[in-house]
Amino acid sequence: MATFDIPIGPQHPALPEPLLLKLEVEGETVVGVDFDVSYMHRGIEKLLETKTYFQGLPLVERICGICNAAHGLCYTLNVEKLYDKEIPPRAQYLRLIVEELSRIHSHLLWLGVAAFEIGFNTMFMYTWRDREYVMDMLEAITGNRVTTEYSQIGGVRRDISPELADKLLKTMNVVEERTKYYIKVALTEPTIAKRTQGVGYLSPEDAKSTCSVGPIIRASGIKFDIRADDPYAAHEEVPFNVITYDSCDVFGRVVVRAQELLECVNMIRYALKNLPSGPFRIKLPMKPNAGEALTRVEAPRGELLHYTLCEGTPKPYRYKVRTPTLANLGALRAMLTSKGRYVVNIGDVPIIYGSIDPCICCTARVQFIDIKKDKTWTWTLDEIRNRSRRMRV
Amino acid sequence: MSLESFLFEALKIIFFPGFVFIFILALFYEWFDRKFYAKLQNRVGPLYAGPLGILQPLADFIKLLSKEDIVPKGVDKVLFTATPLFSLSLSIFATLLLPIFSVKGLLSFEGDLVIAVVLLTFLCIITFFAGVASYNRFSIIGAERSFLQLIGYEIPLMISVISVALNAQSVTISSIVSSQKGLWYILGPNILGFIVFIFAAQAELERIPFDLPEAEQELIAGWNIDYTGRRLAMFRLAKNIELVFLCGLAAALFLGGPLGPVVSGYEPILYTIYFIIKSIFVLAILTIVRALFARLRIDQIVSLSWKYLLPLAIIQFLIVRLMI
Repeated sequence: MATFDIPIGPQHPALPEPLLLKLEVEGETVVGVDFDVSYMHRGIEKLLETKTYFQGLPLVERICGICNAAHGLCYTLNVEKLYDKEIPPRAQYLRLIVEELSRIHSHLLWLGVAAFEIGFNTMFMYTWRDREYVMDMLEAITGNRVTTEYSQIGGVRRDISPELADKLLKTMNVVEERTKYYIKVALTEPTIAKRTQGVGYLSPEDAKSTCSVGPIIRASGIKFDIRADDPYAAHEEVPFNVITYDSCDVFGRVVVRAQELLECVNMIRYALKNLPSGPFRIKLPMKPNAGEALTRVEAPRGELLHYTLCEGTPKPYRYKVRTPTLANLGALRAMLTSKGRYVVNIGDVPIIYGSIDPCICCTARVQFIDIKKDKTWTWTLDEIRNRSRRMRV
Repeated sequence: MSLESFLFEALKIIFFPGFVFIFILALFYEWFDRKFYAKLQNRVGPLYAGPLGILQPLADFIKLLSKEDIVPKGVDKVLFTATPLFSLSLSIFATLLLPIFSVKGLLSFEGDLVIAVVLLTFLCIITFFAGVASYNRFSIIGAERSFLQLIGYEIPLMISVISVALNAQSVTISSIVSSQKGLWYILGPNILGFIVFIFAAQAELERIPFDLPEAEQELIAGWNIDYTGRRLAMFRLAKNIELVFLCGLAAALFLGGPLGPVVSGYEPILYTIYFIIKSIFVLAILTIVRALFARLRIDQIVSLSWKYLLPLAIIQFLIVRLMI
């Protein structure tokens, strides 16, 4: 049977952000796929080198609007590693609260987007309406709905008053009730089950070998959560479960994210009830110590990685960000090119693509183009490692 | 025919219940569908044009008419121009068969129910040609899907209509309607047939969960991706008129059409009101179905139709056969 190419993107109703999925199609089944993510280069890493660490925070938050809390947190944790100072426990708890709140809003947003991808517009409208409760709380705590800049180098920007804590607890009750309703809908609605079960299969071996992160790898039955494996902000003290599901398909990802919502609610409740007293911020000098630091944070989409190299000046010599979407692109390719029982129909492409919760604009690219010779090539991980060592010596 | 009666007939065809009435009804049904769908989703829906946004479909229609008319390179120009016209004229022709102001439609003849069902298939075939005419990857897939879908829903639809015809011992819409004076067929043994008809109508109109041929997230706009301006306006209007036609047909076949308690002398007005109320009831069901489900996949639609809709339709047929 003859195959032909279908370009999905860079402009397409199913894609909120520019990405080109070049699908090779045989009738209605997908036999091959090629990506191009390089439509949105913003040069943030280079720009960070021109700013001091304290000036860089607002910029880092703008890498991704949805997981801004995770980016800000990862940045501040990373820079604080250069100082060797103890951060007050109250700040740790407050950071956890805001991070989990932003996880709730991200997962609710994703539930809506996933419903939209399979044409279930009613659920999309409902989840986005209920997400507003969380957005309002974020605004009350941090002063902004998105790009909150709550986590600062040395602590957090504001304290939570007891009245606000009460209000937050009440909102959590609403969120919990609504979440339980969505879990019920997602698990019992027959058309959702038809569109998600057995779709976008990613075996545990593939999940490991493609280095996927976040809810994707957890939905393939592997316990991998930075909050549990490498606790960073009061996660040692606040109890929570790492949610896994072993169906390895889009349905599993829906279940994992929905159950995580309930975990987030419980974590916020625990943290608010056991909030330690004391200062919420300490002052740190402009110049950090020379050295390098690498921090991992569990963003709503998965493992987020920040790296910095500091030469003892107020500005970073190098700042590097690896976002979860980049880590999951390999898994996406594995899902879209499955064969046999789990072969992909064109109709399944949007929901499979949506199931990794893509955020293309924050994804870094490793592709080189020589305009004079009209040549493009990529570097493997080993090549990058070799070159970076050479530069540092 | 005298001049007077000729003029009367001409006015009937042009104004009521002919073109102008159908046009207004089509826009009103689109507004009702959008507004009710919005209410179900906790939105406001159309709001600004006219009271409660009732003029919004008209505004959209006029806006599309005034847009630039683009004919892309490489399209089949004849089909590209002809399909919107055919689609609109066939759907208007179909609505003339509906019994709106009396038990008889404007056009009424022996066996018009057969014509009505054939027109539905024709409309789907025109969709296919429209998709193929604009030689685009997405539109070809959309056209292909509309045919695959037709394979799924057409036979159950026909059987559910045949059961009604068998019940009334006639294939003429007017006699089917007048035979429901005692009991509507939905309350008679045809409730299963009504359910099958609703789902098939949803598929015919390409609405969720059967909006595969124009699935936004997959094919952007599917078969009508290249149509702009006037052509798109015609397609949209044809779709709305088809909506009126299917709601009206369901009302006529299962809900007794325009029948209801009447005061003598006011029959045409009361019949029209009953007809609109009943067909809007059907429209509300269609809208609720649209809000309740997610879009199915093409293979799932075909297997759903053959596994569930067809057996339901056959059971319905057997029930009717055993009863008479």
